[in-house]
Amino acid sequence: MFGVGARVRRKEDDRLLRGRGRFVADIALVGMRELAFVRSPVAHARILSFDIPEQVRRQVFTWQDLEPAGVRPIRAASGLPGFKVSEQPPLAADKVRFAGEPIAVTVAATRAEAEDIASQVIAEFDELPPNVDMLAAAAPGAPCVHEHWSDNIFLETRVGQSFEKDVAAAPVRISRSIRTQRQCIVPLEGKGLVAHWDRQAEQLVLYTATQMPHIVRSGLSECLGLPLEAIRVIAPDVGGGFGWKGLLQPEEVVAAWLCLHLGCPLRWMEDRREHLVAAANAREHHYEITAYADADGRLLGVDADAWVDAGAYSIYPFSACLEAAQVGSILPGPYDFPHYRCRTFSVCTNKPPIVPFRGVARANVCFAMEQIIDAIAAAVGREAWEVRLLNLVPPEKMPFDNITGKHFDSGDYPESLRRAVAGIDLASVRRRQLQGEPDGRLVGVGFATYCEQGAHGTAVYHGWGIPMVPGYEQVQARITADGGLELRAGIQSHGQGMETSFAQVAHEVLGIPLERIRLVHGDTGLTPYSTGTWGSRSMVMAGGAVATACRRLADRLRRIAAHLLQARLEDVTLSGGMLQSGQADITIAEIARTWYLAPQLLPADVDPGGLEITAGYKPKSDHGTFSYATHAAVVAVDAEVGLVEILDYLVVEDAGTMVNPAIVEGQIFGGVAQGIGTALYECSPYDDAGQPMASTLMDYLLPGFTEVPAIRIEHMETPSPYTEFGVKGLGEGGVIAPSAVLCNAINDALKARGAVVTDQPVTPARILAALRNARAEPPP
Amino acid sequence: MSLSVLLSVNGVAREVALDDPRVTLLDLLRERLGLTGTKKGCDRGQCGACTVLVDGRRINSCLTLAASCDGARVLTIEGLAEEGALHPVQEAFIAHDGFQCGFCTPGQIMSAVGLILEGHAGDDPERIREGMSGNICRCGAYAGITAAILDAERRLAERNRAEAA
Repeated sequence: MFGVGARVRRKEDDRLLRGRGRFVADIALVGMRELAFVRSPVAHARILSFDIPEQVRRQVFTWQDLEPAGVRPIRAASGLPGFKVSEQPPLAADKVRFAGEPIAVTVAATRAEAEDIASQVIAEFDELPPNVDMLAAAAPGAPCVHEHWSDNIFLETRVGQSFEKDVAAAPVRISRSIRTQRQCIVPLEGKGLVAHWDRQAEQLVLYTATQMPHIVRSGLSECLGLPLEAIRVIAPDVGGGFGWKGLLQPEEVVAAWLCLHLGCPLRWMEDRREHLVAAANAREHHYEITAYADADGRLLGVDADAWVDAGAYSIYPFSACLEAAQVGSILPGPYDFPHYRCRTFSVCTNKPPIVPFRGVARANVCFAMEQIIDAIAAAVGREAWEVRLLNLVPPEKMPFDNITGKHFDSGDYPESLRRAVAGIDLASVRRRQLQGEPDGRLVGVGFATYCEQGAHGTAVYHGWGIPMVPGYEQVQARITADGGLELRAGIQSHGQGMETSFAQVAHEVLGIPLERIRLVHGDTGLTPYSTGTWGSRSMVMAGGAVATACRRLADRLRRIAAHLLQARLEDVTLSGGMLQSGQADITIAEIARTWYLAPQLLPADVDPGGLEITAGYKPKSDHGTFSYATHAAVVAVDAEVGLVEILDYLVVEDAGTMVNPAIVEGQIFGGVAQGIGTALYECSPYDDAGQPMASTLMDYLLPGFTEVPAIRIEHMETPSPYTEFGVKGLGEGGVIAPSAVLCNAINDALKARGAVVTDQPVTPARILAALRNARAEPPP
Repeated sequence: MSLSVLLSVNGVAREVALDDPRVTLLDLLRERLGLTGTKKGCDRGQCGACTVLVDGRRINSCLTLAASCDGARVLTIEGLAEEGALHPVQEAFIAHDGFQCGFCTPGQIMSAVGLILEGHAGDDPERIREGMSGNICRCGAYAGITAAILDAERRLAERNRAEAA
């Protein structure tokens, strides 16, 4: 068994294990020179002048060089009404808007020399007051980040109507202020690129560590004024992305222009400090939520204001309102309740632009909403899981259109919760709490349930009016003359094992052995257009296109086989790579040889398209897929020092049909690990001057071997009614729930002391502060 | 100023003339010897992606000056597999799904090989986690790597016993 559902070894493994992968930093071209960027040391200032020593002047470039040559700023507008457009010159023009913003670039034979030159470039600034906190930046009278704007709000959105009258008699009213921290994404491979001019193809070729080569190509075309056919973008092996490599970056524009200008190959590798302070920021939200419930804990309404610190510029293609606009529509989570109102604000600040990080907005709303559920449970004196169960969309209502119009396709949300309660053995945790721990630590248990929209369709994105709307996903499939199969897809696999899982899908349809199926991906010169790999979409969309293309190939194979076997078309079957009619059979390889090398034997009415197909695919519903899960955790909290140990962690998940369960589990393990970082460790704080405080991995704490426990997974498999094989997107799911689960578990542990934590990361300092506050204000 | 370094890399004697004394062992391997299997993740000794063995001991090659490696024996990921067959640690990484994107993997594998050579970890997963704590995997394959190291240790011990007998 090697098809859909098989736990097969990845085709990618061998080269990666031997150190033979080809990542962008591994590419060396003859005559290649290296770039280093000079970055703003201040958060908000006018640039008065540059002082560049004469002996290096020819190796230093600023906006004064790029703008006259026709380079345009990065511009990512949204079509949502009221959106204010920012323009980001890839090297700052007359003003810098965050510390770390590139202001000049240097070129030399080695990176060390380029950095030596960069250190000699001095800019003089007239400093302006920075906007560091999103709530202050959104307040009237704050200094404007973009001076021609009237305030610092990229976009305000409103969902739903006021409903105070309807809940006036509600017995439970819970209000919470909730804050989630600014994070950095930190794939182990940072951003990097190699640019060169292909003289024969007359093309700019950009090797870049990206998840979306076709979108980078579109963005480069806009900024450089080059026609698309003059640009080829290639993503080689990519060392993790998690969203950071899902956008056009200013450094790509600068390097591409410089390559054209200087006529030599250029390389830039983001260093870890640049990554942490200058760019890969994500996830900073603030919520003011009030929820109403009846005496059983049934939700009557949720009223929320949400702010997202979007940083200084709108990123291409997702724009500055990707997070906040999603918050408005997904805050209700997997729950069914009658009243909802939400205002969101995408706030412009003097910090790096916020970029999409795995579980975009969903991780934050889960953190907020699941705290609310626990608070309601505490108010009505019930177990939190019982209140969850009361409010989850039940299976008999599936498919279900929720209060914001999200179309939940299938599944049994309550069952995932019941299994999690049983699997974590809630009763024994409660007994253990009563007994107390020998070491005096406090034990707590937490739950969180979410549903995750993935593989967003045309209708979902069209409404936002951003520079990218996913349509039909296309894949090219070609049977070679010796019976192999080449698949060409515009997505980009960077750890998801798609060279394997797509081959499994093709094998399922055609029966060609996995080792004879090859996926070509991540190269605009070789693949059909695609918006790329983001939003848990590649398996659903490109995987669906692989199946569609292979089915059409199977039909053409059958027609040729019927002729060669002298059989009726309806009698010809394809199984295990063999076409059969009665006792007669012929292999796919023999048909392929006939098409390519012995066409005189083909039927007169053979499809002239031959054994090569480009197929486009969309699921039957354009709303995206909805996978879901309940996570549960048991923690021990040391109330003396505030340390948290995760004693048990369970995931009960349903992502529809699994193409390769090993890959699914890897995605879940990885997501949960990142979620643990979000919950307990990772934070990129800024001081009052807008200076980043976490600039190395000693300040920005990533979860490691000793922080990530063994994670247990239970699978449920409810096939999607809308997709090929019933698969659903799941790449982001693992990261959505952990911070909510762990926060709820910590609060469960702390409840004996009357303490509550509401902000993430839940650091020892926050836990100790909550305990101090509880002592100062004992519960009534 | 030019500085000559003579070292053995994966069993082959290499002499490299350095025009800049600041060159790290990592940059020497990647940029001067074309051995790009060893990765640069943070360049500050905080992620472990650049781990190689020098005279049998694990080191962060990004924090090691090439000039200090004169006369040393360096083993990198490219030199680990013998005659095409994967090393038992590499085999175990497949069996236990110890990676996803593969970028930190060469460093994880070299660190695991070094840890096993050190002989401290035994069959205690807690000590393996502690011993591997200098290697970050952002794809979060920690449980798989820990299981892989336990498994590889067993296989190597069996092989050693068989060779001794």
